[in-house]
Amino acid sequence: MSVLIAPSRRELVRTAARRSLRRRQIVGRIVLGLCVLAVVAAVAPLVALVYFTISRGVGTLSWAFLTHAPTPPFIPGGGISTAITGTAEIVGLAIVLAIPTSLLAALFLFERSGKLAAALRFSADVLTGVPSIIIGIFAYAVLVLPLHQFSTLAAAFALAVLMLPIMIRADEEAMRTIALDLWEAGIALGARRGRVARSVILRGALPDLVTGNLLAIARAAGETAPLLFTLATPLAAMTLLIYTDGTQAFPSAQRTAWATALVLLSFVLLLSVAARLVAWSISRRAH
Amino acid sequence: MIYEPGPMGPDAVSGLVGPGRVSGVRGALRRRRSRLGDHAYSALRWAGAGLFGAVALGLLVGVGSDSSAALQHSGIGFIWSGTWNPAAGQYGAGILVVDTLLTTAVAMVLMVPIGLGTAIFLSELAPRWLSGPLSTLIGLLAAVPSIVVGLWGLLVLTPIFANQVEPFLASVPALGWLFRGEAYGPSILLASVVLAVMTLPTMVSLSRTAFGGVPVADREAALALGATRWQVVRRAVFPAARAGVSAAVTLAVGRALGESIAVAMVIGNRPAIPESLTTPGATLGSAIVNQFAEASPGLGTSSVIALGAVLLLLTVAVNAGGQALLRSGSGAPAHTAGALR
Amino acid sequence: MRAFRIDGRAHAPRALTSPRRVAGPLAVLAITVVAAGCGSTSASTTKRAAGSATPASANLLGAAYDTTTSAAVTLNGAGANSIEPFFETVFYQYNQKNPNTTVNYSPAGSSVGVTDIQQGTVAFGDSEIPMTASQLAAATGGTILQIPVDLGGVAISYNVPGLTKSIDLDGPTLAGIFDGSITNWDDPAIAGLNPGITLPNLAIKAVHRADSSGPGYDLDQYLIDTAPAWVTAIGTSTPSRTWPQASVGIGEQLNTGVATYISQTSGSIGFVEYGYALQNGFVNAAIKNSAGSYVAPTEKSIAAAGAQATSLSATDFNVVNEAGAGTYPIANFSWTLVYQKQSDSSTGIALGKLFDWVVTSGQQDAASLGYAPLPSNVVSLAQSTIRELEGSAGTPLFAS
Repeated sequence: MSVLIAPSRRELVRTAARRSLRRRQIVGRIVLGLCVLAVVAAVAPLVALVYFTISRGVGTLSWAFLTHAPTPPFIPGGGISTAITGTAEIVGLAIVLAIPTSLLAALFLFERSGKLAAALRFSADVLTGVPSIIIGIFAYAVLVLPLHQFSTLAAAFALAVLMLPIMIRADEEAMRTIALDLWEAGIALGARRGRVARSVILRGALPDLVTGNLLAIARAAGETAPLLFTLATPLAAMTLLIYTDGTQAFPSAQRTAWATALVLLSFVLLLSVAARLVAWSISRRAH
Repeated sequence: MIYEPGPMGPDAVSGLVGPGRVSGVRGALRRRRSRLGDHAYSALRWAGAGLFGAVALGLLVGVGSDSSAALQHSGIGFIWSGTWNPAAGQYGAGILVVDTLLTTAVAMVLMVPIGLGTAIFLSELAPRWLSGPLSTLIGLLAAVPSIVVGLWGLLVLTPIFANQVEPFLASVPALGWLFRGEAYGPSILLASVVLAVMTLPTMVSLSRTAFGGVPVADREAALALGATRWQVVRRAVFPAARAGVSAAVTLAVGRALGESIAVAMVIGNRPAIPESLTTPGATLGSAIVNQFAEASPGLGTSSVIALGAVLLLLTVAVNAGGQALLRSGSGAPAHTAGALR
Repeated sequence: MRAFRIDGRAHAPRALTSPRRVAGPLAVLAITVVAAGCGSTSASTTKRAAGSATPASANLLGAAYDTTTSAAVTLNGAGANSIEPFFETVFYQYNQKNPNTTVNYSPAGSSVGVTDIQQGTVAFGDSEIPMTASQLAAATGGTILQIPVDLGGVAISYNVPGLTKSIDLDGPTLAGIFDGSITNWDDPAIAGLNPGITLPNLAIKAVHRADSSGPGYDLDQYLIDTAPAWVTAIGTSTPSRTWPQASVGIGEQLNTGVATYISQTSGSIGFVEYGYALQNGFVNAAIKNSAGSYVAPTEKSIAAAGAQATSLSATDFNVVNEAGAGTYPIANFSWTLVYQKQSDSSTGIALGKLFDWVVTSGQQDAASLGYAPLPSNVVSLAQSTIRELEGSAGTPLFAS
């Protein structure tokens, strides 16, 4: 560059360039500082959340706490076993309802093109954003009111409706990572379409399918609003128990809420971590 | 066997080809079994898609029809007018809509700068050994159930806000008027903070995806021209990632609009026009949580469901916009917004 | 989520678990889970066939009382938050005596109890205020019986540093606090009632029930009876379950929400069921009763209010501002709601025996929980109401 600038002006240009660089570097440092502040502000709530949940909940946690049924407030020896088994039942039933349906619907979207598939895909995208409280109202109207009772089935139905659009889209995206020629090869070899779906699509997309479904399940396990209008008692699910006990003024009830929150948080975080581990290990194996 | 290729597309291919052309009885039998199997499989696929379609339709139709009684009673003005006072027979969603929009807006004002700054740091400015673990950490925040965030907000943040934060904010010279009034604790501000915490991970992860979608060549070109790292971000990365970042904000807004339990625990349940950010309020979601179970059957329940219909319309519109932006931008999978939040 | 790519080269199949190997265990798991979910009895009413009909004469109440029931029944109830400390204890005790009967109670509020029993989604509801005629007419399953099951009071609790004893408050002052005209603890109105107590210069944070409530109804009734300014401000002299001054102060859900707010917030004052105030160790105000004395809520003063209800019925249930020097002026009975016609007689018998026990032996712990034992005339009313329970054919379930 110095070749192109007259010798008399070289010093001027150099100084100007140096000053501009200095200014830009300072601006860059400031922005870096702001971004670091932003990161601190972003991480701080998570750290505070986990800290408080652990510190306020771990004292109440014990094997007896996890395995005994609840007792009235001032009678000792109670636990949250009904809530834990209740959550497991509800989530398990929801999985049974949602996974086959979502897999089949995803296969439908993956293998077909056309207006219907596009419309269904769009509705799935949009339905992922439906507030969970509205899904709770839907389950109340469909399963609680006509049958005149609150039930785990209604709660499981609500969670399944919540998971369905998320799983469908995750499944379809997972399937799209399969190379299309493998599918065509299967069909060309004369295999039935269902066989091809099983052996090629599902088998090839399995890691991403597992990841996506685990994340959806982790989300559903932590939901409270859909359970509000479908369960008979707050003792039937951990999230409801946290809501009911957490809003009580008795310190013992609040401690139960924190301990239950700790159990729930651990479970949900474990599921999320497992989902990420699956993705990470598979992506490592593929490279 | 003779294989004749057809136009691209899975079903188009299989429609033309079938299970291969083997001659004779063996071929006929095999084709018949295959066709039955194909029919069964196709029926299963239709069943799955049909079930999902029925659920989606049922949800929309159900919410619409159950709220019709209330809308007939109050007219379309239900959405923007009136007071919410079921005891006096007054059913108007206006104030709830205002409060919902207000809490979401304040939450975005708090969250977007932090989320954007974090995303920039993680994707552009941080050393690699730091960005991996940090982004995992933030991703884990997405997995925290909303009830736990609400619990923390109710039991930990509320006393701090009532006794320290809100009085302090009211005394700040230039902005104090925003926070004037009685420092009750549960307030629009507290609900906004909780919403900001909950929507942050979505913003960060989607923004990072958007930044990641910018071609490396663009960055290298900027560096070659002598840009500092911040200038690379500002001039090369931002403009290209604009659609993705807008999508991130929009989806975060959709999430914040629909959050009900955590907001109900910290907002103070006061369906009246808030005088300042530290006044209690009531959003559409919190009103539904608190009032659905006890609404008197008939007009009462229908009005609460009508609140749900308004909320549904809002969130669906916002989410549809966000998904469209995502598709137009980086084309990253839209479902992660739902699963990862 | 990282995208997974098969590169374009010829690629041997990876040794993943084949779907077939996963399907078997998954199916077993699925079946187990479905069986567990459908067979779960903890959250749904189990209706076992009653086998041979139990002769009505074996089901007696009162003196010939016997807790045993032949079938295992789970009763789901919902309703008043105010009775929850009492219900939770007595249902637990009853289950110890009679393991065949399990009771789940959801203390979501009186109005929820009313709505749920109207829709028939619970076996029994509970409400601090009896159902009105229009609410009874909206019930889908026929006539509803209303059984008085406890006697409680509404405490005016506060959390003010330095005020560790009860202060005196009367109707007009309380009305001023809750309609926002009295905003500070050292206001002359409060100071005038409490000479000799130093009141701090602290803002009053009034908390009320955001949902419909019995305590709100009672306090509204008390203020209507004693404070003309309140009647003018709210524009009616009929008390309402929904707090009429909802735009003043903070609204919290249920007694639990109000109690949490009071315990966390300095300067707060609100109304809660006395059972909650007792167990949280709140300081309660002494309220002026119709005789002019300032009485704090205790088991005795609440019992004195209940004793005045000599002609109690579901249509004449008001015990607010009753006569007597030692009477606490804000008290009420709680009413359990059951359908008269029980389609399943074992459920009906279980219900009847449960509540007969609750209004008799179950009252012994009432005082320690913050309630007063039912007066004997109310016990008789409860028992005679229970005797009206009938089976699906219309025959009474209990002998008279």
